[in-house]
Amino acid sequence: MSEILDKLFECVEFGKINAASPYPPQLKGQDGASEYTQKALAQGLSPAEIMDTALIPAMTKVGQKFSENKIFVPQMLLSAKAMNAALVYIKPYFSSGEIKRKGTFIMGTVNGDLHDIGKNLVCMMVEGAGWDVIDLGVDVGPEKFVESLKQHPDAYVGMSALLTTTMPNMKVIIDAIREVNPKTKIIVGGAPVSADFAASIGADAYAGNPQEDVEALERFREECA
Amino acid sequence: MKKWIDAVLQSPKLVAVPIMTHPGIEYIGKSVRDAVSDGEVHFTAVKKLEELYPSATCCTIMDLTVEAEAFGAPINLPEHEIPTVSGRLVSTYDEVAALQVPDLTAGRVPQYLLANRLCAQFVKDRPVFGGCIGPFSLAGRLFDMSEIMTAIYIEPDTINLLLDKCTQFITAYCQAIKQAGSDGVVMAEPAAGLLSDNDALLFSTEYVKQIVAAVQDDSFTVILHNCGNMGHCTNSMVQSGARALHFGNKADMGQVIADVPDDIIVMGNLDPVTTFKQATPEEVKNLTSKLLRKMAGHANFVVSSGCDLPPHVPHDNINAFFSAVAEFNASI
Repeated sequence: MSEILDKLFECVEFGKINAASPYPPQLKGQDGASEYTQKALAQGLSPAEIMDTALIPAMTKVGQKFSENKIFVPQMLLSAKAMNAALVYIKPYFSSGEIKRKGTFIMGTVNGDLHDIGKNLVCMMVEGAGWDVIDLGVDVGPEKFVESLKQHPDAYVGMSALLTTTMPNMKVIIDAIREVNPKTKIIVGGAPVSADFAASIGADAYAGNPQEDVEALERFREECA
Repeated sequence: MKKWIDAVLQSPKLVAVPIMTHPGIEYIGKSVRDAVSDGEVHFTAVKKLEELYPSATCCTIMDLTVEAEAFGAPINLPEHEIPTVSGRLVSTYDEVAALQVPDLTAGRVPQYLLANRLCAQFVKDRPVFGGCIGPFSLAGRLFDMSEIMTAIYIEPDTINLLLDKCTQFITAYCQAIKQAGSDGVVMAEPAAGLLSDNDALLFSTEYVKQIVAAVQDDSFTVILHNCGNMGHCTNSMVQSGARALHFGNKADMGQVIADVPDDIIVMGNLDPVTTFKQATPEEVKNLTSKLLRKMAGHANFVVSSGCDLPPHVPHDNINAFFSAVAEFNASI
């Protein structure tokens, strides 16, 4: 890996967004993911190489560290912000087809629930793993999930709930999705959600953290291949 | 209150305190919106629960929007679901600096204090606990929960100033709950569970400690609830000085009880949804008995739900929970 890609990997792993960001302390005053991505492109590195060699592996490592309780939500969000700062310069190549995406993932926080932190983490991690992500936002009811699925019939669906009081809405949404497309693969997660609960409402997978969303999507993709 | 805590610690019998108010609201035929907006309806729901179930304490509604609303945050108030904060109130240092700490007449605070007053007046056979949010969870609602997570590193001065203001308000609110006659308060601080133990110490415990120091004494106890803790930040909860700690269903209670000193009450942690709401009464009884057996011999353990019970929990399931506790105690 080139030195620039090494640096970019480090910036994403430790959440160094850009030169102005004071975090992390050990990289203070240095360039961040934004600057290194621009430099990499200017040096002629391909967007696909930048994604495959630096950004995706860095976010995979971040996801692993999170699932092992070595880092927590703030550190992961900063890594995701660094990833997004890099993607600003990479995304134009998505639409040109130069970078092939793995598929489409529709994600939202269920109706009655305005918490977005888990959803945001999942969206950032899944996008960072090479997927197109459609973020439906918070307080999303069955109609909006179904509408989005009609526009993207091959998409996978994820939903989050942070409240014990809104978890039951997941089943209503799953039932609505199944009516339209019984084969759609659905992942559920959120602080109070458990694997038992996921199974009880007919979800295809439970994700206890964003990395498990990525792993479930990879599993689904292999099953469909 | 100290007598009650001492009695819990010294008695071989297990005490049960599920966190619940929805069953009471449903039983009296009122909507959630009625209960969170009207102190008398709120009290009637809590009183009904006191009549129905042998819970060792009486708790008011766990509503994590009352304090944010008092600061001026916009909230959704649906008829049959708990309220939620719907928008960000502050986003810069200057906005935080200009933020006024509200007085206790703001928003629905007077209605919650009324509910506390009525409960304290009419519930005489068990301690009454009010409810409040923790400082970091409140700051997250005012600043945006995702944004505060990164702001603690990028602009810590802004967040510390906001936490100072949140702490000032929560302290005054807890003092008013105490003056209303309640025996303590359940302080919900779930957002701290998203932090490392060290960050939780810096951005939550440091401020919770100030509130505990201002209000906790022999007549008034703080129960610190953190259902976001998966076991990684128990130390930060212990350091708060709260006399009782309440854990969510993601924590391993066997590990928790080993991490908490014996003179601090440990409460938890049956799953409010998959156990209380979705399981059969037989399953509830079995799962409760299993937890009781696991925690047997720990005098500071109080069996509880891992968080607030959601709407529409079957009464048979709540009865099954208490039945398991009664059978366990009879076997001692």
